[in-house]
Amino acid sequence: MKKAFWSNANIAVLGGGSFGTVLANLAAQNCASVTMYVRAEEQARMMNSTRSNPDYVKDLVLNPKIKAVSTHEKIFEQEIHLLISALPSHATRSQAKLVAKFMSGREIVLHATKGIEEQSLKRISTVLAEELPVCRIGAISGPNLAGEVVRQDPAATVVASVFDDVIEAGEAVLSTSRFRVYTAHDIIGVEWGGTLKNIFAIASGILDSSGFGWNTKSFLLSRGLAEMVRFGMAMGASAETFLGLSGMGDLIATCSSNQSRNFRVGYALAKGEKLEDVLKDLGQVAEGVRTTRIVYEFAKARKVEMPITEVVYNILQGIWTVEQGVQHLMTRPLVQDEWG
Amino acid sequence: MLSSTYMLIDPRTGSHPAIRFEQHPAVRGEICNLDGKDYRESIIGEDVGRTLQDVSKQDPRLLLEETLYLERLRLKKSRRAWWKSPYLANRNRQDQKFIKKIQAGLKNANGVEEHQELMKAYARHFSTEICGNFEPKVYDFAIRAVPWMFSWLLNAASLKRFLPWGMSESLQTRMRVVGEVEQLQKLSKKGTILLVPTHLSNIDSILIGYVIHLMSLPPFAYGAGLNLFSNPILSFAMSRLGAYTVDRQKVSSIYKNSLKNYSTSILKRGIHSIFFPGGGRVRSGAIESHLKLGLLGTALQAQIERYQENHPTPNIYIVPMVMNYHFVFEASSLVEDYLEQSGKHRFMPNDSSEPFPFFNMLKFFWKLFSTRSEIWVNVGKPLDVFGNFVDENGASIGPNGTIIDPKSWVMSEGELKAVPQRDREYTRILGEKISERYRAENVVLSSHLVAFSFFQALRKQYPQLDLYRFLRLSRAQRMIPMDRFYEEAARSYEVVKKAVDEGRLYLSDTLRCGDVKLWVEDGVRQLGLFHATKVVRVEDNVMAADDMNLVYYYRNRLTGYGFGKLDEASQSRNFLGETDEKGFLV
Repeated sequence: MKKAFWSNANIAVLGGGSFGTVLANLAAQNCASVTMYVRAEEQARMMNSTRSNPDYVKDLVLNPKIKAVSTHEKIFEQEIHLLISALPSHATRSQAKLVAKFMSGREIVLHATKGIEEQSLKRISTVLAEELPVCRIGAISGPNLAGEVVRQDPAATVVASVFDDVIEAGEAVLSTSRFRVYTAHDIIGVEWGGTLKNIFAIASGILDSSGFGWNTKSFLLSRGLAEMVRFGMAMGASAETFLGLSGMGDLIATCSSNQSRNFRVGYALAKGEKLEDVLKDLGQVAEGVRTTRIVYEFAKARKVEMPITEVVYNILQGIWTVEQGVQHLMTRPLVQDEWG
Repeated sequence: MLSSTYMLIDPRTGSHPAIRFEQHPAVRGEICNLDGKDYRESIIGEDVGRTLQDVSKQDPRLLLEETLYLERLRLKKSRRAWWKSPYLANRNRQDQKFIKKIQAGLKNANGVEEHQELMKAYARHFSTEICGNFEPKVYDFAIRAVPWMFSWLLNAASLKRFLPWGMSESLQTRMRVVGEVEQLQKLSKKGTILLVPTHLSNIDSILIGYVIHLMSLPPFAYGAGLNLFSNPILSFAMSRLGAYTVDRQKVSSIYKNSLKNYSTSILKRGIHSIFFPGGGRVRSGAIESHLKLGLLGTALQAQIERYQENHPTPNIYIVPMVMNYHFVFEASSLVEDYLEQSGKHRFMPNDSSEPFPFFNMLKFFWKLFSTRSEIWVNVGKPLDVFGNFVDENGASIGPNGTIIDPKSWVMSEGELKAVPQRDREYTRILGEKISERYRAENVVLSSHLVAFSFFQALRKQYPQLDLYRFLRLSRAQRMIPMDRFYEEAARSYEVVKKAVDEGRLYLSDTLRCGDVKLWVEDGVRQLGLFHATKVVRVEDNVMAADDMNLVYYYRNRLTGYGFGKLDEASQSRNFLGETDEKGFLV
């Protein structure tokens, strides 16, 4: 029944970035049609004619069911059943405002943004709930490096929502023989997991570029996870969620792979490059830079202990050198190896 | 000087400046159908059907055994009620008989079908007990007699009867009904109203009945605790005024389902209803923080069913209402309950089902009338079943400020249907919204602020003490010189005023005038005026507390906003129901 409904459903994807394109391709395998919204008309035209999106994902052939459009009206020319937002965090609210008036309220909404809104510290699902005329909203998060999903390496993700309606939609639309969808109700934990790991991806880049080995990396991962749990719990998440794909899983992937944008930022930074130049070279958005500052300031105000985050923040700001940061971490008072 | 702010009534017209809405001729409404036996039977039949549906996945034999066990346990516990109230005793006797019958049936039963039959009988037994009646004649009598009785009491109690215009006071003069009354009146014609008031005292139910009449709304169905039926007069009146019976001692799932289903059935039929979503009376005196979602969910269920039947006015509107008193009759025992519960290491007693003494109620009203105390009733902004605000015409306003179609929120996989998990989540969101609205619709009274300021000033003297130790301060320790108190009062006022300007709560008229001497004088006089011991006393320029528990109770009405925290730096996002590290509600 559910499968049958979703195989006749129409999906819309907001955002033509790498993960948005990957998600559109996954959805196209399970649904009747996928409409992709991209900002530039040129990009839409090129995607429709060349059936590829080479600026963001190499080697991907767009499924014939995918149509790219560049105006919001055109997305909703047919009834949309599921809307997937794959926009950077800072663009989510403004884009949501624009699509809101075309929506009927029946749609289910998923987002794949691993970040939070800057001033308000609101999770993306909260931002969407405030701007869209819908209530059923969920998040997609997990160790999903776009290139590997395109290559059809076996991979898994988490779809989280308090609504089973949303979770079931995510399962039916996104799962394929090479892509498994796990589910969770703790959307707070899943969203914060995807957000917080970016901080440690930067730290991981810094470590690799400084030439440290596996001991150091594992040290970073496990104590980084402890910081994620501590912060997540302060935000109302449950600790176990961080042991899953969207927490531990995503942390390992982003901290180990040099494909990750945040990792590349850290790597270049430790080589002595300026932050602005690094970001300019990257061309795409590195959520971690913004996240680090927001999380650091909030954790400080709320007295949540996050020493690694503090170091990453200070290195990003150019206040500390890598060596000073390492010094700071290694000379802290000795404590128990636990989360609380 | 004070009396000018209290000059409420215009003796010539009898109109009341505090009631700023139009009063219409009374309407009867859907509830009058309850008078018909067939109508009641149809509801009971529907309930039984639903209840059986709800438990259809469980093994009927096991469920019956469990129900019988829980019922036997309840009867054993409530043995004491036998001599307290003949009404309850009679009720228990009947239950006992019924249990015996079912037990005998269960022993002889073989096969699922016979179990089903017994289950059906049980569901019917509960539904019949719950189902309320409504007799228009009794209602007409009550709405004439009650105000008359009140005004007689009032004028007998008040010195005003010596004034030239004589018997001019009525209950209206003591009730300050403010807020979205007009919208409520409009919406009651465009859909079904579910009124969800805060609950401080047993008096609430009676006053709400009166407020509904004042607002020219048709009578509402209301779930009344069994203890309210223990008085023969009240019992007679209530069971004929649309009240249905809620027995909180009954905990079996069949009973709980029956209760929920009754509520769904009457809402679905368009009968306006009231429940107290906080469950019982709030123990701490604060605004309710944890709402019971079971009954609340029946609103969404009923609305979905009304959609499915293509009803012309399918919407159900949830209207939060906050009531505030200068004194709460049961405050001492309630706050004691609360402290025992939160103190943990002590035994937590059962929710006492003591019959509510009729005489005490008369005393309450006598006090109310003789002392110029007022009751504030704030009708909150109406919500739809998802917790969205609704506009003038009853259309839902989405979180982004545009009109939304609530129907679309209950479409799953292209179909309009009930989906239990989804609907539970919607109800949870609604519950959160209601408690958020309670906080915002709260009206601070002068007495609350006096209690709050006193408590705060005293806490600053003993910052290291935790709640339980603090409440046991000796008599000599719980005193504050008046000038220190005034200092603190002014500070508290500033903090609260700032929150009021941000739209987080309201001030009563006396507080709005802002003169600290004036509201403190008024607050001290009003604070818990009814209790045997005075709550606070001012003597020789020193303010002293006679009963610390009560100070805590009245002060708690201002918690949930973070005003109560001593350490400014300690941050927390949601204060409702939260305590600081020393156990004080903030």
